[in-house]
Amino acid sequence: MKVEAIEYGDRKVYSVGAFNRGVASWLSRLPTVWVEGEVTELRRSSRWASVFFTLKDPDDGSCLGVSMPRGQFDALRLELADGDRVHAYGRPELFEARGEFRLRALSLERFGLGDHLAALERLKKKLAAEGLFAVERKRALPLLPTRIGLVTGNDAAAKRDVLTAVTTRFPPANVLVAETYVQGPRAAGAVVEALRALCREGVDVVVVARGGGSFEDLLPFSDERLVRAIADCPVPVVSAVGHEQDTPLCDLAADVRASTPSVAGRLVVPDLAQLQERLDRSRAGLERGTRRSLERERQRLDRAHERLRRAPRLHVERSRARLEQAAGRLRTLSPRATLERGYAIVRAQDAIVRSGRAVQPGERVDVELAEGGFGARVEETN
Amino acid sequence: MTFEEAQKELEAIVQRLETGEAPLDEALKLWERGEELYRLCKERLDAAEGKIEELASRAEAAKP
Repeated sequence: MKVEAIEYGDRKVYSVGAFNRGVASWLSRLPTVWVEGEVTELRRSSRWASVFFTLKDPDDGSCLGVSMPRGQFDALRLELADGDRVHAYGRPELFEARGEFRLRALSLERFGLGDHLAALERLKKKLAAEGLFAVERKRALPLLPTRIGLVTGNDAAAKRDVLTAVTTRFPPANVLVAETYVQGPRAAGAVVEALRALCREGVDVVVVARGGGSFEDLLPFSDERLVRAIADCPVPVVSAVGHEQDTPLCDLAADVRASTPSVAGRLVVPDLAQLQERLDRSRAGLERGTRRSLERERQRLDRAHERLRRAPRLHVERSRARLEQAAGRLRTLSPRATLERGYAIVRAQDAIVRSGRAVQPGERVDVELAEGGFGARVEETN
Repeated sequence: MTFEEAQKELEAIVQRLETGEAPLDEALKLWERGEELYRLCKERLDAAEGKIEELASRAEAAKP
């Protein structure tokens, strides 16, 4: 379309109508797109061919006028109220009579919490399938971090809660705080950058803390870039975002999830008093144990010495016992015990008589008894 | 060696010593090693200074 200009010498001048027509014609070549925003200032009249409303960007407050054919708008039966979030499909347009720029909407869809949740659920499934939330990925927190990184908003509460919890349990803790946006369209990128900056500075654990907020407030913490950055962070990450019932995706990617910033603070440091006590106990045990080993060794030595000392006497005693035993046996075997029972020994010419045929009648024999003895003569033999 | 590694080894040594089963030579070696580990842990604790620093990340985050 040709736009006519009036020429005043070498100056080309357009009439308002011509200018508007020109701009409108140029704008009409732009493509049809989807725009998301909150509906405000909805104006509808049965006398108008179009309905009008303003779309507002909830993050930065930018506004965009929208017009839509009334028949189409009514057919959708959206029953929109102020603040409802919608996706509008349309192209930019200039209302020539007033030189007003707006979006000419051809279609309109309500985009609510449910859609957000569905989008989140899809992302969650995708990241889970990649194994980003897998238990095997979770790393243990260092017992005694050299320096703790803290990503937090400049809202005092979450930051103060973490720092208080950390320094109460472990007063000498070193903390590097990165204050950043934790809400709005820049939050996700800013938190990612803060995480990287902390790791560059050198920390051995990071706490990401943000107080409670609305579902929308916490959305940046389910942003894919942020979730990936947490999963890929070279040091373990503790996530303390929102309240217990909120589960932003960053909680799933973090190595440890804390229900509140205070809990996160307590998780990243050991209890100094307990740690000291445990160390001191170990040291006492070290001394006690070594002394016990020494003592045992000395006792063993003493016992060996004692046995050594007693060895000769033991030998004599054993010999004596053996002797006594021999003497006892000797006694049982001697003929005296037999004589005691009433037997007698008969000798003839100093030889013991064992047979009647060994003597002659009239021969003298000597008889030995248990006590004493006597001489006798043989009367007869058989 | 991390603090927890040192602490773990120290506690294992104490346990071994407390059974009293270690021969004298080993006991003395364990004791020496234990003291070394104790000093290491103590040094790590003493190295913490209690510094809270702020990282000027807002400016960096705002960069394109």
